[in-house]
Amino acid sequence: MIEQLITEGLAIGACYGLFGVAVAIIYKTSDVINFGQGEMGMISTFVTYHILAQYGLPFWLAFVLTMLFAVLLGMFIEFFFMRPAKDPTVLGLIIITLGAEMLLMGLAGWKWGAEQKDFTFPLSVQKVHEPIPGLILNEWSIGVFALTALIMVLLFLFFRYSNLGIAMRATQQNQNAARIMGIKVERVFSFTWGLSSLIGAVAAMFFAARSVLDPNFMMEPFMRAFAAAVLGGLTSIPGVVVGGLLLGLIENFFGYLWPVWKPIVAFVVIIIILTIRPSGLFARHYVKKV
Amino acid sequence: MKRLSCFLVLVVCFLIVFPCSGSAARSGFDDEEIRIGQFGPQTGPAAPWGAVARGAGLLFDLVNEEGGIHGRKIKYYLRDDQYSPSVAQAGVRELVERHGIFAFTGGVSGAGGHAVKGYLAGNEVLWVVPGTAALNTVADNQTPPSPYRFCSYPLFEDEASVVTKYAVEKLGFKKIGFLYQNDVFGKGGLTGCKQRLASYDMTLVEEVPVEPTEKDLASQMLRLKNSGAECALMWVSPTLSVITLKTCESIGYKPQWIAFDGLSDYPMMHQITGGLFEGVITAAFVPPPDSGDPLVSKYREAAKRLAPEERWGTFYLAGILFAEPLVEALRRVGPDLSTEACIRELNSFKDWKGLGAPITWSADNHQGTDSVQIQKCGPGGSYILLQDWTANDLATWKTKK
Repeated sequence: MIEQLITEGLAIGACYGLFGVAVAIIYKTSDVINFGQGEMGMISTFVTYHILAQYGLPFWLAFVLTMLFAVLLGMFIEFFFMRPAKDPTVLGLIIITLGAEMLLMGLAGWKWGAEQKDFTFPLSVQKVHEPIPGLILNEWSIGVFALTALIMVLLFLFFRYSNLGIAMRATQQNQNAARIMGIKVERVFSFTWGLSSLIGAVAAMFFAARSVLDPNFMMEPFMRAFAAAVLGGLTSIPGVVVGGLLLGLIENFFGYLWPVWKPIVAFVVIIIILTIRPSGLFARHYVKKV
Repeated sequence: MKRLSCFLVLVVCFLIVFPCSGSAARSGFDDEEIRIGQFGPQTGPAAPWGAVARGAGLLFDLVNEEGGIHGRKIKYYLRDDQYSPSVAQAGVRELVERHGIFAFTGGVSGAGGHAVKGYLAGNEVLWVVPGTAALNTVADNQTPPSPYRFCSYPLFEDEASVVTKYAVEKLGFKKIGFLYQNDVFGKGGLTGCKQRLASYDMTLVEEVPVEPTEKDLASQMLRLKNSGAECALMWVSPTLSVITLKTCESIGYKPQWIAFDGLSDYPMMHQITGGLFEGVITAAFVPPPDSGDPLVSKYREAAKRLAPEERWGTFYLAGILFAEPLVEALRRVGPDLSTEACIRELNSFKDWKGLGAPITWSADNHQGTDSVQIQKCGPGGSYILLQDWTANDLATWKTKK
């Protein structure tokens, strides 16, 4: 039973972590928490659903088309919603993301309705394997572990070795200095939103496969992923994933022992940890001098 | 400018202190028509339940097609409350004060219903039958009950008690677990189940609460699995039931699931669970939509003619079921219609049988039934009727005075 609790906790935690990475990427470059992240993932998942249901294309093709859509959606929101903001404060930009969230939710309700839908995903929670007696692993869990690990490695390589990745890090550290160095900061922001939207869309598909697809389905996962990201440290991408894994484990163990406390116990732990380490477990604590 | 602003502020204050409710509600009928209203979600998160309100519309269309009731046609007003209590309140006030409504029927929003029940009673507007168990008159703890609200949606306690009896006596289960939404609805089911088990000197092997918004139920399902429950009752929302079934499949746990009536739209549940709902047993207050029952057949044929665009399903049928007693009472009243006469007729219902369970109302009891059917989801989301209308012989509200 304990090994099952660990694997289930790590699997959902990896999913929180993956989605938390999408939140953290935007935060790292612009200090903005994107409250529309969940709904961006939701819309992208609906696009996959639409392609599968209406056009009958194979999943891999629908997935590729959705990834393209997700990148364009992220760039669109950055270009038309965030960029026009005049003399924006961080708070103002966050409010804009809240507006985008409501707009996307309304759009999904209008286009696809509020009815719950079954999202067909090739990595099913119903297909299970038992590598060790008593330890049941489903394909969804295997997929989420593998994909989170793959995305982590790719992001590490991207931020460490690619020009764009280095430009993103430079923009996060000092926008003005980055501009002076010839970095087109606006393009960096656009790309950041596109990349974040893409990762968020992948995570949202995993969430939809475990639950149902409707315009509200990403609200709760967003809150959990955000909490996981804060726990690990919003500026540390590996920290965010570890935060997600910890959150999944905490929730599952407490959920098993005291089910009634499950929804709040993780947040209590987070409050305690943030009281001790305000930037999260793995992020460096920056102090701005004025 | 300042004076104008002051004047506008005074007008607004006046309207707040002396709101429009002072304007008396218009009469709900005349020689030509009887005006009946309903609020409920047609858009928003609970839009799938919108079929309930449209189902009632089919019944009224059918009545009008047959010539109306004692020379009067039914004029039906439907307001979309988007599942929001404030929108429901606004819609109901508008209907009552602008159009004049004789009676309301249905209304599936529990919170919306609570927001308007006092207003409707205050304006002496009938409500036959609320479309949610949350609006039952038993929970009001009022003797006699509100004279204007007549209910027949079975209480969650009653449903749970009846299906638990079925699980123990017919299916022979000894180890029963209970998964419930941590709110009034879920706890109501838990109470009924425990009460029934106590009558066999049995207890639940496990009771697991879940919050309505939870998306990961792995730990709760592992707990249920570890308890050894061979049968598990679930009193949770459709979304939670999907997560439950998928999670159990992934951890290799396959008990006999028994659920409340809200999950008895099998084609929908079968579709959104990817087929996992097959084999699940539920309580039901609506007969199977594909039933050969003469009334069901009559409405099914009418729907093909009058509302071909609608999916013929449980929710749509429920809307008809909620409105039927009102139509019957209007017929019994005769041409001299009044609210008092209609109440008198409704209070005289004794084992009256429409689509649902037999209904009995009296001046002291406005909870018309404690009976449910037991159905099972068959292949492809088909309906299998396991047990016809069964009353809860342990229902405590019937003996309350």
